[in-house]
Amino acid sequence: MKLLKLWRTFKEGFKNFYRNGWLSVATAVILTLSLYIVGIFAIVGVASNVLLKNIQGVANISVYFNPEVSEAKIMEIKSNLESFREINSAEYVSKEQAMQELLSMEDIQDAISRAVEEVGNDALPASLIITAKQSDQYEIISQAIRGSYGGEIEKIEDNKKIIDEINGITKLSERAGLILGIIFLLIAVLITFNTIRITMYSHRQEFEIMRLVGASNLYVRMPFVFEGIFYGLFTAITATLFLFATVKFVFPVLIRESASQSAKVFFEQVNSFYFQYVWLVFGILLLFGMIMGVISGFIAIRRYLKV
Amino acid sequence: MIKFENVTKIFPGDFIALEDIDLFIDKGEFISIVGQSGAGKSTLLKLIYAEEQPTTGKVYFEERPLDGIKRRHLPYYRRNIGTVFQDFKLLPQRTIFENVAYALEVAGETNAEISEKVPKILDIVGLGDKMEKFPKQLSGGEQQRVSLARALIHRPKVIIADEPTGNLDPISTWELIKLLLKINDFGTTILLATHNKNIVDRIGKRVVALDKGKVIRDHKKGKYVI
Repeated sequence: MKLLKLWRTFKEGFKNFYRNGWLSVATAVILTLSLYIVGIFAIVGVASNVLLKNIQGVANISVYFNPEVSEAKIMEIKSNLESFREINSAEYVSKEQAMQELLSMEDIQDAISRAVEEVGNDALPASLIITAKQSDQYEIISQAIRGSYGGEIEKIEDNKKIIDEINGITKLSERAGLILGIIFLLIAVLITFNTIRITMYSHRQEFEIMRLVGASNLYVRMPFVFEGIFYGLFTAITATLFLFATVKFVFPVLIRESASQSAKVFFEQVNSFYFQYVWLVFGILLLFGMIMGVISGFIAIRRYLKV
Repeated sequence: MIKFENVTKIFPGDFIALEDIDLFIDKGEFISIVGQSGAGKSTLLKLIYAEEQPTTGKVYFEERPLDGIKRRHLPYYRRNIGTVFQDFKLLPQRTIFENVAYALEVAGETNAEISEKVPKILDIVGLGDKMEKFPKQLSGGEQQRVSLARALIHRPKVIIADEPTGNLDPISTWELIKLLLKINDFGTTILLATHNKNIVDRIGKRVVALDKGKVIRDHKKGKYVI
């Protein structure tokens, strides 16, 4: 009997949803947009967090040695450096390895192999690739190395610049995403709430009838809760589709058109992140939409039920 | 069966709708409640189906005080009482069948029971052939009979009819009253609030007259006199 009533209220809610016609559509569109924007910020936010962690892992400085410095000497410096508290690891890249790596870069292979034939096999310097324990210590480390081994070193290169840039973008997008996300979340909640209230207003005479024929408050209420769930379901699906379209069609353009390397990396990261977690994103939107619907359904009807 | 004990109802703004009402309604009675607009007829009826609570005094239904019913049990209590109103109160988006069926749906009756009971009751009120129509497609008299069918579907002990004929032409009015009398013959208690002098006089049963919230007359075989 409980199930029968549940099924009846479910059907009722579904009827309300499609009988409302334009009101439903208008609401669903606005809700979809809100969820979409919340979704965009959520993806960008989470993706940039992941990205930041990855980047902190790949940050390093390369210390290039003068060609006359022997391998033994470099190894000595290496073990010396490894004893520093700030340094996480130091990896030796010999001249041959450096050449090997260069040769493996596919798109310029032909040009390189011709060039290598000209200059010989040991044209590139040997190097140590050093990673720090914390990303803000690279400055100190490179200064220390320059101070101790200035004579043997040709140059020190770090990819810190790119890292800093990405760091900046990430922080900014995270903060903006959080604020805008909260705002749109609030809008979404208010819209659902309001729509359900409007629907209820148009049904207010029916509530009286329902109570007079002996419908329990829960029975009167359930169709609206289901209606809220339908809004959540519907908007979660459409918002996910829009998100999918955005990431699939808009992001590639952004990646292609990005002026700076770091922005490119950033968009690529967001892109791959989305496709990896598309179901998770959908699930979260769905859950969120439905919870919102249920809560607004429950709150909005209180007025009319005299409870 | 229904008892009013020193009932006073004061609405916000110190409007006294009912004052010191003592009334006893026996099982199977047909009572016409008459009085001018604002005399307190509707309020009296609302106290019975617990839409309103008395400010002081008590209302009993089968010896049970109504103020002892918990709010969430009210829907179950109301299934003892069928209500009919001047404005019919039918759900416009549902067919006649669905309107009547709704009262059974909310009580959790199965579809099989519903499709058995609803046509029967609609036959009784003479609308068996209009089940698939919508309220808008029916005349006022027919709509009121749908409303009565819905009130009857729970086999209530009491039918409360608040100005049921207010929107009806004389012929429909008399048809409805005849139905009420027939239902009363089967043992259902009927409370009819009206200011239609003609029908009260023709019914020739107990008449309770209200004026300014007080019972001014209560006759066993009464006429419409205020």
